[in-house]
Amino acid sequence: MKRTLRMLAAVLTGLTFAGMAGAQGAPAPQAPPDYSVFPCLSYTQACGKVATRPPVKKALDGPLNGNPEKGKQLAQARNRGNCLACHVIPGGSQPGTRGPDLSHFGSSGRSDAEAYAMVFDMRTVNPETLMPPFGTNDILNEQELRDVVAYLLTFR
Amino acid sequence: MSEHKRTPALAAAALAFCALAAGNVLGEQANRERYPDAKIDPAKGVEGDVGFSDTIQYWRTEADLERNAGMADKPDEQWKLNGKHMDLDRIDLHPGHMAVDEGAALVKKLAARDAAFLTCLGEGTADLKGKAAAYPKFDAALGRIVTVEGRIEHCAKSVLGEEIPQGKPANTKISVYFKSLSAGVPIKVDIGDGKVMEAYRRGEQSFYARTGQLNMACASCHVPGSIMGHKLRGETPTTPFGDTAHFPTYRTPVGALESIQERFARCHNQMRTQKLKPGDPAYTDLEVFMTVLSNGYPVSVPSAR
Ligand code: HEC
Repeated sequence: MKRTLRMLAAVLTGLTFAGMAGAQGAPAPQAPPDYSVFPCLSYTQACGKVATRPPVKKALDGPLNGNPEKGKQLAQARNRGNCLACHVIPGGSQPGTRGPDLSHFGSSGRSDAEAYAMVFDMRTVNPETLMPPFGTNDILNEQELRDVVAYLLTFR
Repeated sequence: MSEHKRTPALAAAALAFCALAAGNVLGEQANRERYPDAKIDPAKGVEGDVGFSDTIQYWRTEADLERNAGMADKPDEQWKLNGKHMDLDRIDLHPGHMAVDEGAALVKKLAARDAAFLTCLGEGTADLKGKAAAYPKFDAALGRIVTVEGRIEHCAKSVLGEEIPQGKPANTKISVYFKSLSAGVPIKVDIGDGKVMEAYRRGEQSFYARTGQLNMACASCHVPGSIMGHKLRGETPTTPFGDTAHFPTYRTPVGALESIQERFARCHNQMRTQKLKPGDPAYTDLEVFMTVLSNGYPVSVPSAR
């Protein structure tokens, strides 16, 4: 009985969400992002032959000059950094648990340049890392990388 | 001094070039990063999960599921049930069941136009009972691997001249009906067929290939040591074993029926990878790989997740 209720609730929620999308009127059609410059599984399309971008060991150019407030937004937004998908971050809800807890990263003794290089491309530290290469694959731009790193370094 | 510095760099470049060339000789994409191989044995079927995620002990049989039902309410434990606890909900209310009726009605309507539609689905007989459990299979006459959805698309076109493409609701509903006629029958993809194994190996390659902007593979979330069993924000990725058995499924978060290949496409979107169309040969091979990992587990359609 309890199971039945749970299933019913789930089904109803699904219907509610499906309904809501319609009720709010057609959302402005957004061009789907183009990921075809990155490798895909196709046997015939060009992206099926695209190579993985090799790891880049990026040196920090000049002072960090990041904005931690902006970094916070980026780190939490699912469609941007989404660091929360894998890391515990102070104040973040529903954190992921696969990556190390970053709650005290600012006290870990890492320099700006070290932290920047890690976020730019963690493969330079661990070739088999699960962490996406945020700089190499243009997930975050130069200023956004600096903002996220500045935010990380505020965790004491 | 600067000369000395340059030499190792040149040597490294030469080495990298040799590695590339060697990779090409092996027919591999040397320029594509891969997630480390989890060494899955296709002969073990669904039992390959033993020593893999080791969660099969909680969901192998209905008795196991009943015994461990309490885990469904524990956020850290629920993933170990692999969603199978939801298959115990045999209420007629969820839209997965409605799809069975809708699919049956569609088949009836199409077979009324030409009875050959049904015998095409049943490969010579009108009786579809138990047949879906042997899919995907190599069809010698067509010269390719065929999934249940691929069979439906092929029969609609060849017999009726009608397009019922894979991934479209009509196709998925017929698939739910077709597979519901095998509910409870253990999946038995024929790994003794060389063509099936070739597809399995291609699908396996795809499973470990890192793709997209996030540079992730299917394996990044679905093998031991990966994100499997860890929270990825709201979700906890589960074992790939036994997974295809409940597809096509009614997805409550999406509010729609979803075939396994549509699920691949949705994963790819999350992985910021160029998605492919249901029925694409690469997705079909991936379905072969995934379904061999369900061999021995009963078809569990209709279902909701
Ligand atoms: C898909 C999962 C994933 C995502 C998303 C992710 N990381 Fe990571 N991260 C990891 C893993 C796993 C490690 C552990 C090191 C390793 O295995 O390479 C790590 C390590 C780190 C470290 C080093 C920690 C230490 O003390 O050594 C930092 C810093 C870091 N991540 C920052 C970030 C930031 C900033 C973001 C978002 C822009 C992010 N990560 C997104 C998985 C992830």
